[in-house]
Amino acid sequence: MIGDKVSVNDQGKILVIVPAYNEEGSVEKVIEEVRTHLSKADILIVNDGSTDHTSEKARACGAVVLDLPFNLGIGGAMQAGYQYAKEKGYDIAVQVDADGQHNPKEIPKLLHALEAKKVDVAIGSRFIGDSGYRSSTMRRVGISILSYVISMIVRQKITDPTSGFRAANRRTIQLFASEYPQDYPEPEVVVLLHQCHLKMVEVPVGMSERYSGESSITKIRSIYYMVKVLLAIFVDYFKQPPLLEKEGEGC
Amino acid sequence: MLIKVQIIIGALSIILLLITFELIRRKRLREEYAILWLFTGIVVLVFSLWPEFFLSQFFVKMTGIFYLSAVVLIAFFFLLLIVFHFSVVISKLTDRNKELAQRHALLELEFKEFKKRYLLSETGPS
Repeated sequence: MIGDKVSVNDQGKILVIVPAYNEEGSVEKVIEEVRTHLSKADILIVNDGSTDHTSEKARACGAVVLDLPFNLGIGGAMQAGYQYAKEKGYDIAVQVDADGQHNPKEIPKLLHALEAKKVDVAIGSRFIGDSGYRSSTMRRVGISILSYVISMIVRQKITDPTSGFRAANRRTIQLFASEYPQDYPEPEVVVLLHQCHLKMVEVPVGMSERYSGESSITKIRSIYYMVKVLLAIFVDYFKQPPLLEKEGEGC
Repeated sequence: MLIKVQIIIGALSIILLLITFELIRRKRLREEYAILWLFTGIVVLVFSLWPEFFLSQFFVKMTGIFYLSAVVLIAFFFLLLIVFHFSVVISKLTDRNKELAQRHALLELEFKEFKKRYLLSETGPS
């Protein structure tokens, strides 16, 4: 091997995966910001069957665009991104929402945590410290109940299970490429990681209001969402955990 | 009264069997799914042909249900089975559909990049 020395800033090939469904209003800005704060990373936009000009705008910005033939939902789109990362041999994949809610300035924090704490996944949390994030009471209650249940299951404090701002290492990329929850991927992934004995850590990050578009969770649907997520997690808990393919690493 | 019920149910089951056969013949229905339907049709047909057994004291005592209720119940049970079977099939199809879409997207991207590189190398030196 040439160049064995790996510094904190040189963790190998990094891919930023941005799943986008009808986000033409914000996708350019997200790409630009990622470029500014993380110049060495490649950017992959997963166009989840958008009906607007998301794909064209992203391509015009010079990002690699993966066009799904029709809408698969966030789970299927994210998984396609991880499959790309696996195929192209990326060492680290970072997922960032296309609506501008996640600040790319915070990505180095995730990367740093991944390296410094020797974990497989770093999750950006809005609820550690004061991130300046404000949302409706209903949603916060929902998230805290969810957080409580998930923390119990994975025997580790998870404050923000619905956060889609995450960084994953090579091992996790391989797992996600073959197995990724479809219905409510963010909270379900946490349970999946626990079942596969992969380590995760939460990192405090600031999140801003979305540039455009609507959250998939509206105020009124918060309770409905929470109940369905809890059911999904309950089912996941009894599912047979998948096996990691390589080197007989038990999962 | 009984003969009317017999005729109706018998006719219905024969129609069901005929439709199933015809669909298999035209390859509109895969055999693996058709088996359940064929079985349902045959069982219901048996009910209409031999009502004596289902009217007998033995059967009524054992199950507590009378002829027509028995037919409806059995038919309903088979429908449940079929619907359940369908949910399993749909789940499998959805999964495969997703995998195909992802595979398709990845290959398309790969192909576009390949094409771009090929065109560049074609026009480049000349």
